[in-house]
Amino acid sequence: MKTDDHPPEGFLRIDFDRGRPETTFNSHIGNLYVRKGEKGTRDEFVMGLRVHQHMCNPAGGLHGGMMMTVADLVGSMGGTTLIGLRKFVPTINMTFDFVAPAKVGDWVEGRCEVVRATRSMLFSNIYLTVGEEKIVRASGIYKIPSGDGLAFAKAKLDRGAELAGERPPS
Amino acid sequence: MSIPPGFKRIENAMGFAEANGPWFEKMEDGRLIRGFLPGPQHANALGIVHGGMLAAFLDSAMGTAVFRDIQRRAVTLTLSLDYLGPARLGDWLQAEGRVVGHDEHVAQVRGRLYGPHHEVLAGLGVFSLLSRMRSLR
Repeated sequence: MKTDDHPPEGFLRIDFDRGRPETTFNSHIGNLYVRKGEKGTRDEFVMGLRVHQHMCNPAGGLHGGMMMTVADLVGSMGGTTLIGLRKFVPTINMTFDFVAPAKVGDWVEGRCEVVRATRSMLFSNIYLTVGEEKIVRASGIYKIPSGDGLAFAKAKLDRGAELAGERPPS
Repeated sequence: MSIPPGFKRIENAMGFAEANGPWFEKMEDGRLIRGFLPGPQHANALGIVHGGMLAAFLDSAMGTAVFRDIQRRAVTLTLSLDYLGPARLGDWLQAEGRVVGHDEHVAQVRGRLYGPHHEVLAGLGVFSLLSRMRSLR
């Protein structure tokens, strides 16, 4: 794990691999953080990451694939958090506009807005930003599984027993 | 599962592509096909290939298609993806792109990503064409 991320205050690293023998994609691509804010505000769910070389393209900018991965996660984890749903929601469609680059050292944040949630579908709008500047606009459509679906409790915030018992970020 | 015949490893990968490779390429009937073999590091919480990885891989194949089809370097402006079916770890995946329209500034590209059994991801993108004089580095 990298220790030079220096996340802003309030951001906690997401431990996606709790209890898993192997590193999965969300951990492999680098550290992702989340900060929970006041309910009903734009900061209720914020994902964050520090841009490192292994997330970049040959031009030295944050790779589009990395942006898409994070936007997808913000739309699904963030979206389900905002509507109080604890299920894994498979992605049906994503649309991305890459409006600006990000470079090594930048702190990138992702926020989402739930456009609509039905019993079976979740529609999210997602922005990735560096400071005040938007770098990606995305929209996501996710399937909400019927029944219990997969209880998605593998990811947790890396803050030890301090807040044990609190629900994980998704 | 081994790499299917004809595929050559893409050398000189850097950054994200290197960290999430190796990726392979093959020419077939004038089409450029990219391939990769997903492993545990590409999995999501369900144990299937992560949608972000699929998106990154298809995007790379579509960007390559622009250079292949109209000899211009390009960066992605917008990309729309439909997730059609899951991709399993250990199943060889292939992706290809095709330029369906372009002018001096942008190209419209269709892409598909598929496994041994079914279509996985369909893409439609708009790519911004870089100046003929400019390289990506």
